[in-house]
Amino acid sequence: MRVSLDWIKEFVEVKAPAREVADRLTMAGLEIEGIEKIGDDSVFEVNVTPNRPDCLSILGIAREVAAAFRLPLMLPPSQIPAGAPASAVGVEIVDADLCARYAGRQISGVSVRPSPSWMKERLEKCGIRAINNIVDVTNYVLLEFGHPLHAFDADRLEDRKIRVARAGKGAKIVTLDGAEHTPNEDSLLIWAGIHPVAVAGVMGGEGSGVTETTKNIFLESAYFEPTSVRRTSKQLGLRSEASYRFERGTDIEFLERALDRAALLMKETGGGEIHEIVDVYPEKYMPVKTEVSFSRVNRLLGTDIPKQEILDILNRIGIGTEDRGETFVVTPPAYLRDIRHTVDVVEEIARIYGFGNIPARLPRTALSDGGTGTKVSDLDRLRDSIRKTGFTEAVNYSFMNITDLDLLSIPEGDGRRRAVAVMNPLRQEDGHMRTTLLPSLLQNFMHNISRGVRDIRFYEISKVFIDEGGQLPMEKLRFSGIFYRDRSASLWKQDLPGFFAVKGCLEAVFDELGIRGLSWSYSGEKFLHQGKAADLSAGDRRLGSLGELSPAVIERLDLKISKPEIVAFEFDLDSILGLIGREKTYRQIPRFPAIERDMAIILDDGMAAAEVRAYFTGYSSPYIESVELFDYYKGKNMPEGKKSLAFRVVYRANDRTLTDAEVEPVHKGLVDFILSKTSGELRGV
Amino acid sequence: MDELDALRESFRADLGSVQSLPELQQLRNKYAGKKGILTAQLKSLSSISPEQRPLFGKTLNEIKEFVEEELRNRELAFKEGEQEKRLLAERIDITLPGRPGLFGRAHPINQILDEIKGIFVSMGFGIEQGPEIELDYYNFEALNIPKDHPARDMQDTFYVSGDVVLRTHTSPVQVRTMEKRRPPLRIIVPGKVYRCDSDVTHTPMFHQVEGLMVDTDVSFSDLKGVLELFLHNLFGKNTPVRFRPSYFPFTEPSAEVDIGCIFCAGKGCRICKTTGWIEILGSGMVNPRVFEMAGYDPDEYSGFAFGMGVERITMLKYGIDDLRLFFENDLRFLRQF
Repeated sequence: MRVSLDWIKEFVEVKAPAREVADRLTMAGLEIEGIEKIGDDSVFEVNVTPNRPDCLSILGIAREVAAAFRLPLMLPPSQIPAGAPASAVGVEIVDADLCARYAGRQISGVSVRPSPSWMKERLEKCGIRAINNIVDVTNYVLLEFGHPLHAFDADRLEDRKIRVARAGKGAKIVTLDGAEHTPNEDSLLIWAGIHPVAVAGVMGGEGSGVTETTKNIFLESAYFEPTSVRRTSKQLGLRSEASYRFERGTDIEFLERALDRAALLMKETGGGEIHEIVDVYPEKYMPVKTEVSFSRVNRLLGTDIPKQEILDILNRIGIGTEDRGETFVVTPPAYLRDIRHTVDVVEEIARIYGFGNIPARLPRTALSDGGTGTKVSDLDRLRDSIRKTGFTEAVNYSFMNITDLDLLSIPEGDGRRRAVAVMNPLRQEDGHMRTTLLPSLLQNFMHNISRGVRDIRFYEISKVFIDEGGQLPMEKLRFSGIFYRDRSASLWKQDLPGFFAVKGCLEAVFDELGIRGLSWSYSGEKFLHQGKAADLSAGDRRLGSLGELSPAVIERLDLKISKPEIVAFEFDLDSILGLIGREKTYRQIPRFPAIERDMAIILDDGMAAAEVRAYFTGYSSPYIESVELFDYYKGKNMPEGKKSLAFRVVYRANDRTLTDAEVEPVHKGLVDFILSKTSGELRGV
Repeated sequence: MDELDALRESFRADLGSVQSLPELQQLRNKYAGKKGILTAQLKSLSSISPEQRPLFGKTLNEIKEFVEEELRNRELAFKEGEQEKRLLAERIDITLPGRPGLFGRAHPINQILDEIKGIFVSMGFGIEQGPEIELDYYNFEALNIPKDHPARDMQDTFYVSGDVVLRTHTSPVQVRTMEKRRPPLRIIVPGKVYRCDSDVTHTPMFHQVEGLMVDTDVSFSDLKGVLELFLHNLFGKNTPVRFRPSYFPFTEPSAEVDIGCIFCAGKGCRICKTTGWIEILGSGMVNPRVFEMAGYDPDEYSGFAFGMGVERITMLKYGIDDLRLFFENDLRFLRQF
């Protein structure tokens, strides 16, 4: 909201420079976001929070200035001389639950003409366009007192009788902006005869508005129930300066004064005669009194503010107080009707006392189990580990384009198809919540590759959202990554295939976290290369997959590179975290030397290394300490359809130095055992 | 005796002209070898008169020791020189770069998040998490933001259905935690939040850290103490901190917390909009209505809550001027941190 300091000065004679006034207001809870100099005046841009409807006016701000600088507040004259003619317009409130007070005055014989320049200038400084004296006066008083008024053309009110009642079934109204609306049955309307003439507190109707030929005005000043105004304004998609204030709460007591002020200004700018007030106010507003203990105030704030100062602070902002010894009773004015609880009072005391004057101290409190659990630190360990293998962390929006699932050939019926849709996305491409992180990581890859980055390794740890039919979707953590390396450009060449580079990184991470018992098998994921992709499992549970992207997916990406080797992975992180080994137990470092024996076996190409390695476990010998696959060979000098795998076996005894003579028969037995299991033959010995 | 002096001198001269190990070997043969000069002299000792013999023999021994020592020293020197030559021949260009890209980087948002978490954990706060797709009840109602409340305008909400939203803040976790645990409570809640807004200063998703402390006698003064300590840890001990009244439906009194502008030291610049202050977090005393809805007795307990945007703090800490950089994941950006 824009407010002119000159205008404020009509209410309070503050001498301090604009900057200081702004600072004091900011520190009292009215944040001045900017100051614009216009001539000799300063216009403040005030950020009024929703709890301060009393500050949506020059008067409200002036009240704050007066309290902050301990100055008296002065109100402009609004006394209507006695002996005015009776009103020809009558008012009836049908639905008093939505309208607690409705007042009005008729002004007859007025001329509609441009406003005087002083009024136009003020309106424009505050960001409101001048139209004619009648409209401008209602806006002027709205800005000045924060109370919305509406001017009807009294001659266009059927029967000269105002009725305040709900819309009921089928009511239609064309508002001043020319749009036709059908309000809900519960919306409050202003009626004249059988026609609605205004949407109460939101906007007037076209058929009853002031025109250039209007002679007689009926000026409305009412109190409408905030929630009702807000509902109606939302339902109709209609917002106005009036609805903005009504829905936050206006001053039911002060509305008469606003009415009189406006009537006088209309007479001043357009002539005419002011009639007697019509004021339907069935149940007079009774302030809610609150009893508060002095010690509670100081305990909540951590302060030691003396009784008298507490009372004085409240009085300065217009709150009545009654000292009852240990406690005090507050009576808030109508413009602070939301002050109903102890904390409301404490808040007012604190902000005027000054937050800066409240001492800062460190809490005295009992220690407790922080309740952090292991999950957070496990996640951090995983993040550290994967970074050590060269992957950089990506953070992406949680949205996805549902068509990305087609890009990845995710089949119908797959869990990743059960995506949660957002009702009001910013863009259609962001219409769903992610069920997989891979589309985002592919985008990250594309972004970087198109900008000339050649070595791309990303991981992301984030939630995906799967609609399982419950009220809230399942939220599951995913650990995903993408890997790409431009081979030609590297100084220190690495010929390792991407699949194994990433597999090695992941295995190093799992090893560091003490995760054991994982196994790999060929993956059936459609978006992965069927010969270069693996599923990771723990026992029977599939945790996710790793592999090269399939040529079909790469083709859809339309990259400018030929046959890029892009490796991606995605795992169910909750399951992986559940496998983390907590126990670490020391094993003695061997005290006696070992004997190593190598064996290279020629095998059918189709036999998996893991299968061969597993046979070693089936051979029983107390001396075998470890078996390591250290060479894989295929190609020249190797028969078609065959490959060679070489293993290094370490033999050791715990209690003595083994001799060759002891190892020889054991190793021979092992070699024979493996050859028979694999139908392989020994290579080149 | 002159003969022996001459012998010493001639060895010296010969040694001086030796250039290589083979030449040194020749010299050794010439003097100390089986048929060398010294050996011959020793053999001729018997032909010396008995009176002269002791002195001659002693001198001869001295010369022998001298010759052997000189030969050893020279041999050592030659070997060291050769080793040096060999190593020089194996020299590598140590200015070639090392094998690059060993470590990846944490995302700058998460780096700051980790720093924030670390500070609060060291103060005894635990870390809590909650769902990102949340019931309207937890996101709004239980935080004293009923339907039809103007405060709902403060946050543009993504809806999944009429009563399910993408959480607009991490505050719902406050309520969820209070529902399952009793005070004393000291928690922070880091996480992603969503607002239906996208422009230069807003992204539809961003990160917040929420905090909550509840006990029997927690005051506004404690709130100030904890947040000042936190901000001094994060931005430096001498950073000015101020608290000013604001409004959040779930706290009362509510305070906006500003730090002195770190770019102009409070003098006023473009970044602090000439005010000298930068808004850094929102906070306040937990509204008793929130306690009531979570099942805490507001007469028995009091507490404070706070919340901050991690992107904003990251931008301030690292001097990043474009919010959108965070979600592009350009490696040239990420590798700077």
